Formats: sequence, structure tokens, C-alpha cells
Amino acid sequence: MDESRPIFVQIAEQIKNDILAGRMAEESQVPSTNEFAAFYRINPATALKGVGRLVEEGILYKKRGIGMFVAPGARQRLITQRREQFQAEYLRPLLAEASKLGISSQQLAEMIAKEGVR
Amino acid sequence: MTGTPVIQVDGLTKRFGQVTAVNNVTLSVTENKIYGLLGRNGAGKTTLMQLLTGQEFATSGSIRVWGEHPVENAHVLSRVSFIKESQKYPDDFKVKHVFRSAPWFFAGWDADFAARLIEDFRVPLDRRVKKLSRGQLSAIGVIAGLASRAPITFFDEPYLGLDAVARQTFYDRLLADYAEYPRTVILSTHLIDEVSALLEHVLVIDEGRILIDEDAETLRGSATTIVGARAAVDGFVADRDVLHRSGLGGLSTVTVTGLSESDRAAAAAAGLELAPVSLQQLVVDRTSGIPTELEQSA
Amino acid sequence: MSTPSITHRAETTGAFARILSVVRLQLVNPWTIVIWPWIIMGIIFIANLVIWWILSLSLGPEVIASEASGGGGVEINGGSLYIFIYMMVVAIMAMNLTFSFALGFGATRRDFYLGSALTFVLLSAMYAVALAILAAAEKATDGWGLNGHIFRAVYFGDGGFLANLWIFFVLFLFFFFVGAVIATVFVRWKATGVTILACVVALLLVGVAALIGLTNNWGTFAGFFVHWGFLGSYTWSLVITAIAALAGFFILRRATPRG
Repeated sequence: MDESRPIFVQIAEQIKNDILAGRMAEESQVPSTNEFAAFYRINPATALKGVGRLVEEGILYKKRGIGMFVAPGARQRLITQRREQFQAEYLRPLLAEASKLGISSQQLAEMIAKEGVR
Repeated sequence: MTGTPVIQVDGLTKRFGQVTAVNNVTLSVTENKIYGLLGRNGAGKTTLMQLLTGQEFATSGSIRVWGEHPVENAHVLSRVSFIKESQKYPDDFKVKHVFRSAPWFFAGWDADFAARLIEDFRVPLDRRVKKLSRGQLSAIGVIAGLASRAPITFFDEPYLGLDAVARQTFYDRLLADYAEYPRTVILSTHLIDEVSALLEHVLVIDEGRILIDEDAETLRGSATTIVGARAAVDGFVADRDVLHRSGLGGLSTVTVTGLSESDRAAAAAAGLELAPVSLQQLVVDRTSGIPTELEQSA
Repeated sequence: MSTPSITHRAETTGAFARILSVVRLQLVNPWTIVIWPWIIMGIIFIANLVIWWILSLSLGPEVIASEASGGGGVEINGGSLYIFIYMMVVAIMAMNLTFSFALGFGATRRDFYLGSALTFVLLSAMYAVALAILAAAEKATDGWGLNGHIFRAVYFGDGGFLANLWIFFVLFLFFFFVGAVIATVFVRWKATGVTILACVVALLLVGVAALIGLTNNWGTFAGFFVHWGFLGSYTWSLVITAIAALAGFFILRRATPRG
């Protein structure tokens, strides 16, 4: 856990990464908040807050008396969300920097092609 | 989710002669949360806990535990566990006598759990308490506190003399047992970095006063250190709540609270560097007393 | 908030159970409070027997018989006195360190004091019965066949089994509760308190002695003991015991366990 951000945000992101990477399949059960708490050595209330945030976002859903499950379509929604984030957090600063340095769209496209997307 | 308050303290003061150990403290403790009572040595942590458990008598102010006075109140005290760091044991006691008598005083005592903890911490049952090392003595307090399963459990600097492995064992057992048997835990410590993730709520006490009474998650990341050219930094922090200031040549480092997203963007635009402040650093900054001095001299 | 009131009622009926918990705590290590005292008692007893035996070999039994019963020369009868002093020390330890420990376990001062007092009464009864039986056995065997006096020392008188039992009982109570009050003074006011207490008691004793001496009442004073006899005079110690017990209670009610 890093100290700069609330732990519950980091827990939520960790779960999202696991879903994106396919480590947590849709409709599969996620660990209980107590299991998260024990694993990350954090307060269970904090783990609950992180998981609760994902329920609000519709990434996880609750089966009463059983536990938390990954919502159907969660992965796709996360990909869409991340793509939007990618645009905002990486692409726009990239373009801003490029224009500062006088790099044209043409030159930028060439640079990207040269680096290649894995 | 505010929850039921189990402890309510109002205007609590405790003086020992000229020394005011606890100074006009008002706070409320919510059921089934883990609290960190943080502060420097001699800040008043132990005295506050002794007041809450009826071991000390208040000079003024009121304390309510489950709505009742704790002092000489068996109804309250039978559900409270407080093995303090400086706990005295009868001279003739061996470790086994401590754990043999504990169930007579704690209704929720779990003998199996205690036996597992005794193994975890490798406490020698047949040794006299007087002959134990500092770490083993701490382990006894930790085991008694955990296995008592008291609805309110106080841990007063529970780790003194414990090595890193034993401390981690304590944190792990505490979390696991707390998850299974939720209860109110108040943990006094100055090893803040180690326990900060365990806490749900933070109380910082300094010179007998409560400086911070805040949700741990709200507190985390609430302070930011700004580094940059002195003039730029000074301009940026002019109207802000400054916790700490230091400088080297033309470079200035200032810790402030309450930066919004737009503040961060503005700082970045001004060429300032932002760094997160850990809970421990925050407490150090708040309790070291340096910022006010510097601000006055500045 | 209706549930707390229910548990409150249930726990109030448990007041005696809580006091019994303190009794059990005080007795959790029987070595200190029962086993060691008897081992030491046994050693003193055997040592006395050996001395009497050696003396009877060298001097002849008649000499020992006349000297022991006459309270002269070679009589050794301090053996049983030690156990009273030992119990005073037990009381001091029980009220000092066990107090801090019991409060750590959530006991109230009231329950702790009452439980400890009950422990002292029980121990007094147990030791009194044991000593009275030993005194009777000593009498029946003519001083263990050697005319020895250890459980029937002159200062206990010898008014028969019941009188011995009573005297031992009130004496144990006296030493336990005097020990207890000294310990509570220590817990509350530390060494300074005990020093002041000792000075006050010494001054009181000197004052009383001076009062008796100046008013030429030593005769009346001695007459008191003659009038009440062994049994009655020892019974009067209960007044001091009761004062000590009550004082201990009120002193401890405001005491704090501090390092």
C-alpha cells in the first residue's frame, strides 16, 4: 500500500486490475472483505469501503448471504472506462507536450509506429 | 455509518500536581472500530486510557462508557480489558497463573485462542513473570488482550521489546480475530507507520490535548509536501494551513493540508513538486511544535 | 437502550461471583499462600524436635521437662510465631501487586478488597484449625514425647482446643488485616505514606503509654489483661483488626495502580 492515497481506493483499483487481467472472471466470487483485510493487512472497514465503491460502480454485485461477485460485463465496462482514462491521462498531456515541442500529428504518428504497440 | 458511541468523554482533565497529563479532552468512540491513539511519549496516552478504565480518577470532566461512569463500575469494567505497558504482576506469579486466572475475569475468554497465541509468541508458561524479557512481558499483555475478547479492548504500546516477526504476528492475529469477533479496540502506539493500515480512526494526543480526531482514510493523503523555489512555494502556500516548513538555500519544502484537485493542478502548473505525506509524518509534523515557531519568526 | 439494563440485572446478581473470582486469583498460586508456609513450618518443627531430642540425650528428659514447662533456659517456642509474620507479608504482597494486576483484569477496587478480605478470613480459619489440631496433638503426645512446646507457646495460653482455635483465628485476622492496611497505605501514598503511618502509630503508642504512666494507671492497664484473661484479651484485638480492615477498604477505594 502506498501512503499517498486512501487505502480503499487502492483496494478498489487492485480488484479492477485483477478483473481487467482476467484473474477474476465475471460471475465468479471475490474474496470476502475479511480475506482482503487479512491479505493486505488493513482494517476490514477499509476493505469494505473499497469493495463498496465497486458495488456502487456496478463492477461487483452482492448475493445476499453468499458474498460478492464480479458483475457480468464488468470487464468490458472497465476497458471502456480505462480507455477514456487513457485518453484523458496520457493522450492529452502527450499531445500538449508535442505541440509545445512543435511535433506535428504526422511526426507523432510516425514516432508511435516506430515504437510499435505490443 | 456513524455507529453507536461506546465511550463519550467531555471536558476531561487530569492533573498530577503541577502537571496536566490530560487537558480538557472531548471525544467519542464508536462501537466496533479500531482506534489508534497516537502521540509522543508522555503525551498522555496511558493516563487517558487509565481514566477511561476507571484506574485513575479524573480531576474534572465526564466520562461515559456505555452511558455509565466507569469508576468502580463492575458492569462496565467486566467488559473492558486493559493490560497496560507498565502492568505489574504479583511477585510469585508464573506465566501460567496469569492465563489460569484470566477466564475468571473475562466472560468472553477463549482458552483455545489463548493457547494458540501462547504458541505463536513462544511464551514460557512455567517461567516467573519477573524473569521474563521485555518482549515476553509484552507478549503476555497482547495474548491477554486478544484472548479476553472484551467488547472494549485497550492495547497500551503493546509491542515494546517484540521483534518484527512477533509484531507482525500481533497485527495479523488482531485483524483476523477482530474480523471474526468485531469489538472496539483502542491501540496506543508511536510506531505509526506499522499500524496505520489497521486503523479505522485516528486520535492524536499531544501534551494532554487531542490534536486530531479523524477517520484514518480521510486523514491519509490529507497533507501534501510541496517542494520548489522559495518564492514560488511561499506564494502558493500563503493562505494555507502550514504544518511544517524547512528550506535549503533557495529551495523550500512546506507541508500543507487540504489540497483540492485544482490546487494540485495549479501547483504542478507553477512548477512545484508534490509529494504525499504519511500518517506518521503528519503526526510528527503536528506534534513537533516547529511550524508555529517558524511562522512567528518568519 | 433496553438490552443493557437486562445484562445489568444479570451482572448485579454476579457480585458474589466477582468477589469469588478475586478469592481464586489470590489463591491461584497455592505455593506462596499454603504450601511454602507449611514446608517452612515443618522444617522448624523437625529442627525443634531434633534439638529437644539432642537435649534430652545429653541432659536427660527430666531436665528438659522441668525447664520447658517452667518457661526457662532452653525453651524454643518462637516457631509458630513465624507463620503469623509470614501471613502479614502475604497480605502486604496480595494487596500491593495483586491489586494492580486485578484492576488490569477489570476488577473494581471494591470487589478486589472484599475478595481479598474473604481470602484472609478463609486462610485464617484454615490455619487456625490446623494449628489448634497440632496444639491438641502436642498436648496429647506430651510434647511429641519430648515435652516440647511449639504450638502451645506460653503467649497463647492453653485454654483447650476451642480457646486455642479462637485465639489463633483472631491472631491471624489481626496480622492479615494489619498487613493489608499497611499495603493499602503504600499503594495509595507510597513509602512516604507508610513512614508517616509508622510515625503516627509510634506516637500513638508512646502517647497512650505516657497517658497511662502520668495518670499512674499501669495497674489498671495490667488489670485489663488479668480481667479478660488470654481469651478475652486476644478477642479485644478484633477492635484493632476491624479498624484496620475498614481503613484498608476506604484507603483502597481511592487508590490508583501506578508504576
